[in-house]
Amino acid sequence: MSGNADFAEIFEEELKSSSVGLLNGKTTRASSGINYGVGIRLMAGTNVVYVYTCDKSEEALIKLAKEASAALKGGKSADIKNLEALSKSSPSILNIDPLTVSKKQNIDFLREASDYAMNYDELITQAAASYSTSNRVIHIVNSLGFNKEESQTRIRISVEAVASKGNEKQTGRIAPGTMRGYEFINEYPIIDKTRDCCETAIRMINAGYAPSGKMPVVIGNGFGGVIFHEACGHALESTAVGIKASCFTDKLGQRIASDVVSARDNARIEGEWGSYFTDDTGRESSDLQLIENGICKNYLVDDLGARRMGCEPTGCGRRQDFTYAPTSRMSNTYIENGKDDPKDIIADTEYGLYCSKMGGGSVDTATGEFNFAAEEAFMIRNGKIAEPVRGATLIGKGQEILLNIDRVGNDLELAAGMCGSISGGVPVTVGQPTIRVSSILVGGREA
Amino acid sequence: MDIEFQKKYIKDLIDKAIEYGFEEAEACFMSSSSMEINILNGEVSSYENSTMQGVGFRGKKNGQMGGSFTSSPDEDGMNFMLKTAMENCEVLDDEDEEFIYCDPDHAHLESIQLSGTYDKNTYDKFASVGLKLEKDILALSPLIKAVDYLSVSCGTGPSVSVNSKGLYSYKDSDYISIFAEARAEKDGVVKTGGHYWFGNDIDKFDHDKFLSKLQKKLLSKFGGSSVESGEYKVIFDSEAFVSLLSTFMSNFSSYSMQKGLSLLAGKEGEVIASDLFTMREEPMYDKALLKFPFDSEGVLTKSKALIDKGVFVKALYNLKTAHKAGTESTGNGFKGAFSAPVGVGITNVVITPGEKDFDALCKWIKDGIYLTELNGLHAGVNKISGDFSLFCEGFLIKDGKISRPVEQITVADNFYDVLKKIIATGSDTIAVPEGKGEYFCPSVVISKMNISGDLEEEGEA
Repeated sequence: MSGNADFAEIFEEELKSSSVGLLNGKTTRASSGINYGVGIRLMAGTNVVYVYTCDKSEEALIKLAKEASAALKGGKSADIKNLEALSKSSPSILNIDPLTVSKKQNIDFLREASDYAMNYDELITQAAASYSTSNRVIHIVNSLGFNKEESQTRIRISVEAVASKGNEKQTGRIAPGTMRGYEFINEYPIIDKTRDCCETAIRMINAGYAPSGKMPVVIGNGFGGVIFHEACGHALESTAVGIKASCFTDKLGQRIASDVVSARDNARIEGEWGSYFTDDTGRESSDLQLIENGICKNYLVDDLGARRMGCEPTGCGRRQDFTYAPTSRMSNTYIENGKDDPKDIIADTEYGLYCSKMGGGSVDTATGEFNFAAEEAFMIRNGKIAEPVRGATLIGKGQEILLNIDRVGNDLELAAGMCGSISGGVPVTVGQPTIRVSSILVGGREA
Repeated sequence: MDIEFQKKYIKDLIDKAIEYGFEEAEACFMSSSSMEINILNGEVSSYENSTMQGVGFRGKKNGQMGGSFTSSPDEDGMNFMLKTAMENCEVLDDEDEEFIYCDPDHAHLESIQLSGTYDKNTYDKFASVGLKLEKDILALSPLIKAVDYLSVSCGTGPSVSVNSKGLYSYKDSDYISIFAEARAEKDGVVKTGGHYWFGNDIDKFDHDKFLSKLQKKLLSKFGGSSVESGEYKVIFDSEAFVSLLSTFMSNFSSYSMQKGLSLLAGKEGEVIASDLFTMREEPMYDKALLKFPFDSEGVLTKSKALIDKGVFVKALYNLKTAHKAGTESTGNGFKGAFSAPVGVGITNVVITPGEKDFDALCKWIKDGIYLTELNGLHAGVNKISGDFSLFCEGFLIKDGKISRPVEQITVADNFYDVLKKIIATGSDTIAVPEGKGEYFCPSVVISKMNISGDLEEEGEA
């Protein structure tokens, strides 16, 4: 920390990974690898220097540190605290370490799903299945004396069924993820879930196009929470709020959602896909109330955001790997349970769209504008779920949609996903109960 | 980067792989260094510098190719790669054979495209370019409140491959990129707009041109509203058309076709687009910043039409997919990283331009929509069926002229239908960086597309 830095950090990471993939019953992909690297971060006020390498040699690391120090401008050096004793953490619950399970066993598991899908119906013409597991060990030491190590073991599987009819193809997919051990796989109802994929694909290939225009939209539980994640969660990150580039800047204590909406970001759920106990800057993670009865309660603040905003970090500094400097990110982010029975929400909707399964989407955090694709959707007519429709996109502004949520169900479910942002792709969980938005613009192909 | 060490390490790895029991083997050593600075509020807010390396290995045994990788090129790394690649061979039962290749006439391949100006890329130079750019963007208009993101970055690094059949290939290149996104506010309405520059000599960065493009992209967005839902004639801006085209480009890959994931399977030689549309892959295109004389499998690349006057000429093949189809590789076997397997990739793409410039196209269609941005391409598309429904931005064209911005609209259609509905391409080709190369694309006019908006009775369009 010679020179201008008032903060210095060394981040060391080793990632072991293994994956297999099946297509139509044949094992077409098997890969294994180890990635190792070190990142050094220096800060002077709100200026950051980040350098990284995968060269382990002491000579390379010292050269890197010198380059980092030389590039930092405008700070004043601070004291270096004595290093604490090493403390270790892990949010994974491992009865059976997945990296000790043979690839053959993983393939047998996937083959069950793949064979089931291929024999389900003559409309199903393709089945792809994959399994990947990784163990990520990070070690963070910094000038505040932090000396933390965290081990994160994850498993993710995916099954995709493709239905074909003439020139048309439609897919149904599942992609659960966990920080539990291989026991998760042993207990997973793979056949039921694969059947679900096949049914979605077949339903969508037989469906007509969604209508377009403004209408009430009921969004199903689980991955439906991706809208909250994109349209609201990102705009509560200090990456955007800290430079006043968010539509939710300076909104703490103010109403940003209707009073039926409460939401959290909880990184501390043991065994959950998006969890971590120690963030990538060595801070303890938190269970943070983001919105309570419509009122904005907290932002997601990393250490750089804290310097910009003059507040404490919330333990949400994350990065894909050592090739990225950390920034504020979400973990397990969800709308909390409300009081309504999901059946009543549908029954009380005379006409609208029911998005039972959401796909991905994107958002501009400055304007709040978002768009999302529905993977499976139905029309609601006279309070009943009617015909399936495909090709529906939901568009709007995050700050408006939150205020237009008028019903919240009591069937909260979480679902695994990957979130991309300026510090790379990180595992996150999204979630919500069934909700209704009184009006959203639906982009479909039928007028 | 010690290139001699890299060559020796992978040669030793191949020798050891044969001793280990692989019938054939190949290894590549990729390394890179990069630098990036970000500017915020008149300061260099962050600086990144990196050196990276990694080795990818693949070995063949009993007809199956097992892969592995490490970022630690030492003896332990070597042993790990051999052991796990062999384990992977044992569990694979892929019916399609993968090949290790060497053309004896082209066993030694080199592509060195270093600008010779990389040493200009210093912290001080980048900082001065970036700081001046931020200051001048803010000075463009009192409506511009902030430059939320501004980066100047560069990268370079060699990649060397050897295999047990005698191939040696070496490539190296360098690049610089500049990206800025600014935020403007007018009467409580916030708009963002970005622009980029891509090159390999920082002294060739055209500061004034960058400013005027960014200004146009951002400030022209104010005063917009939606449109009535319906069918409109559409002019795609080059960047917007490239974003759509590149999203569906994997459908031209034989890999997707053979896996049943592309509707173009079996359509080589058939009409799939308007006869006004020609699209070529030009790996060695003279205007392209990067040229690709050979692919990651050591096969020489070639100039070829993908679509010639509406006819789908030939798919993109690597050695594996070509063997399955009973044809030859088209030189499109690329791997994206040392850890990645060889897939099917595309380099530089050239769309044949037409005769009318943008103003003439507007006059010609008289009324319609000029689409400048498509959002949500990773989500709002069905890559297999070609269906898409996307949130987009642009302008209303009325009486042959741009009349006002349009917002809060979606465009929904099908990619294959769009290709057939092309009624003109403009003469206004620009280069758009995409994937590992660039797309050279003019404005593209579509006879009609479904646009959803929420204006009910304004009587526009």
